[in-house]
Amino acid sequence: MGAPFDIGYVFSFLPKLLDTLGVTLLIVAGSLLTGIVAGFLVALPRMYKIPVLRTLSGVYLSFFRGTPILIQLFLFYYGLPEILKLVGLDLTRAPVMFFVILTYGLHTGAYAAEMIRASVEAVDRGQVEAAYAAGMTPYQAFSRIILPQALGIAVPVFSNLVIALLKDTSLAFTLGVMEMTGKAQTLGTLTQHFIETYIALAFIYLIISFTLEKMLLAAERRLTRHENREDKRESIFRLKKRGSYRTVLADINIGKGGGA
Amino acid sequence: MIALSHISKAFGRNQVLQDISLNVNRGEVVVILGPSGSGKTTLLRCVNYLEKPGSGQIAVGDFQVDCSRARRGDVLQLRRKTAMVFQQYNLFRHKTALENVMEALLVVKKLPAAEARKRSIALLEKVGLGAKLDEYPSRLSGGQQQRVGIARALALEPEVILFDEPTSALDPELVGEVLEVIRAIAREGITMIVVTHEMGFARDVANRVVFMDGGVIVEEGTPDEVFQHPKEERTKQFLRRITPEANYSI
Amino acid sequence: MQLDPSFIWTAFWQLLGAIPTTLSITAVSVLAGFVIGAATAMLRMYRVPVLAQIASAYVTFIRGTPMLTHLLIIYFGLPMIIDGLAEHFGWSFRSVSIPMIGFAYISFSITAGAYMSEVVRAGILAVDRGQVEAAQSVGMTTFQSLRRIVFPQALAAALPNLANSVIGMLHGSTLAFAVSVVDINAKAQIVASTNWKFFEAYLAAALIFWGLTVLIERVAALIEKRVGAYNRGGVV
Repeated sequence: MGAPFDIGYVFSFLPKLLDTLGVTLLIVAGSLLTGIVAGFLVALPRMYKIPVLRTLSGVYLSFFRGTPILIQLFLFYYGLPEILKLVGLDLTRAPVMFFVILTYGLHTGAYAAEMIRASVEAVDRGQVEAAYAAGMTPYQAFSRIILPQALGIAVPVFSNLVIALLKDTSLAFTLGVMEMTGKAQTLGTLTQHFIETYIALAFIYLIISFTLEKMLLAAERRLTRHENREDKRESIFRLKKRGSYRTVLADINIGKGGGA
Repeated sequence: MIALSHISKAFGRNQVLQDISLNVNRGEVVVILGPSGSGKTTLLRCVNYLEKPGSGQIAVGDFQVDCSRARRGDVLQLRRKTAMVFQQYNLFRHKTALENVMEALLVVKKLPAAEARKRSIALLEKVGLGAKLDEYPSRLSGGQQQRVGIARALALEPEVILFDEPTSALDPELVGEVLEVIRAIAREGITMIVVTHEMGFARDVANRVVFMDGGVIVEEGTPDEVFQHPKEERTKQFLRRITPEANYSI
Repeated sequence: MQLDPSFIWTAFWQLLGAIPTTLSITAVSVLAGFVIGAATAMLRMYRVPVLAQIASAYVTFIRGTPMLTHLLIIYFGLPMIIDGLAEHFGWSFRSVSIPMIGFAYISFSITAGAYMSEVVRAGILAVDRGQVEAAQSVGMTTFQSLRRIVFPQALAAALPNLANSVIGMLHGSTLAFAVSVVDINAKAQIVASTNWKFFEAYLAAALIFWGLTVLIERVAALIEKRVGAYNRGGVV
């Protein structure tokens, strides 16, 4: 089972793996964009209780949260061209990357939709009333009062979502995309130093997750600077105390529980 | 002046307001009393269209709305002529005290920023918060938040300010400072409709007291008439129950 | 390639045989993960010196890296350690005798443990401090108050997160293909490539996973309703 352990390989693999970091980040960024657009499209019918569309949104959410991302990848990669062939669209020449970003995007969209809905609903009803009482139009009330507060509420959930997506991209190699995990596998096979390449790989993921989390935490701090900081730290995960954003988060509970 | 005529409102099968008519003259302070569930808060919220009345007319100044066929534009107009002070303050959480007062001036009245700022500062000074301009609501006491709420309502220069139990959410020791501010603006001749349980306040600030129960106006008159010589049995009962302990205001 | 709807049904039947493998990986990782998670959470909440820091590092590492890397590191690393030790101490046990699915069990339990520790922590923190004080005020011991007052409430609060974790592990079990374990996903791959009908096979697999997930959600909702009966009514 491979050559004896040699820590030197871990270091020499790092730069080689980093060569493919761009591919990983491209998948993350592309899917995130697709996911946010999809998320809005799916969340709106549920927020405004539009008949039929609302049911469709429900099925979408249930499917994308109810099946493993790995299965979704294969399903879209093999299935989409066949389905579109029926309506005369030829996708057989589309690059693999297209399917990868589309699948991760739609998958992320399900979680983004719940994030959007929960954050908007978490803004206190009195805020909207105060805005209306002051004579604001619905659009003004949404853009000036609800949205800025909903953003602050959404950031921690968004942070989880981005990191989950980053980790999920490690499965893109199954469709033959040469991102970091795929590269690690190649390096392992080539040198027979598997354990070293996977340690290096894990280390890179860890650093990126950590960086993303810190950046988004800073963003959250900025967006919620109006909240009482001392108050907040004390009430992490407290469910019932009113008024703290963290409270709301524990209640939202839409993150992914483990998994790839 | 404000004229409410034949306002009715039902939540499902529950008739909350039944054909209510009420006139409020310019500069008048009208206090609405009544047990919980009497419809007093709903009536107040109807004036601001935060609740949509089932039927009736609302006139504020020279502007009139027929509630059964009010359009979006009418509702906006109506809201711009009225202002609301909420029980839970409802200050915009992500804006400072100053920004809270400025917000409507900028967005609704479209004043230039410098002008909005000047006016807002003057109003906050008036309610005694000149030193708290840049604080966020989460760092203000309930009494301070409510005073910002009052300054925010004043900023709109409305025809009437609606107070929805403005001191009910406050700790007892903070009630005084808020009532003091309301008293002061009442003296300036601003028209107000106040829903409150503060009997002492009602007695010496109100020009007129309206007693509601079961979705109708049971009786109305000067504070002296209603408190000292109530005519209706329901009013007497209510006053007997509420007066002994509710008299802790200044 | 031509779409063959009837093959979805054929594949569906062939995949049913792999369900026990998927479920056993899920069950083992969830149960072992819960034990690891509860221990980790306690170490962190009671701030046990050194161990609490190790627990934090473990949770951070696992949550910051893909589950697949955990599996691969265990798969390639564990035998090295075991065989090294065995040679050193002269044991007769060798890593070759570990079945493939054993690596999945071990690795996924370690993954689940980190996520579970957050679930347990959030559940316990959700219980109001006043509850413990009230329990002690009527004369309960610490253990009694934990067992009779804190845990039932914590469980009710943690249930939705717990269900999410179970679903997460169910979906995560598809990674077992990497160590040649034939779960639903790997079976789908086999069925797909031997019949050259990929879409149909994966559609069948998706339907099975979807069904299992909905089932878990339903059961969780049912339990939640019973455990959380005291909590009904508008909690703000």
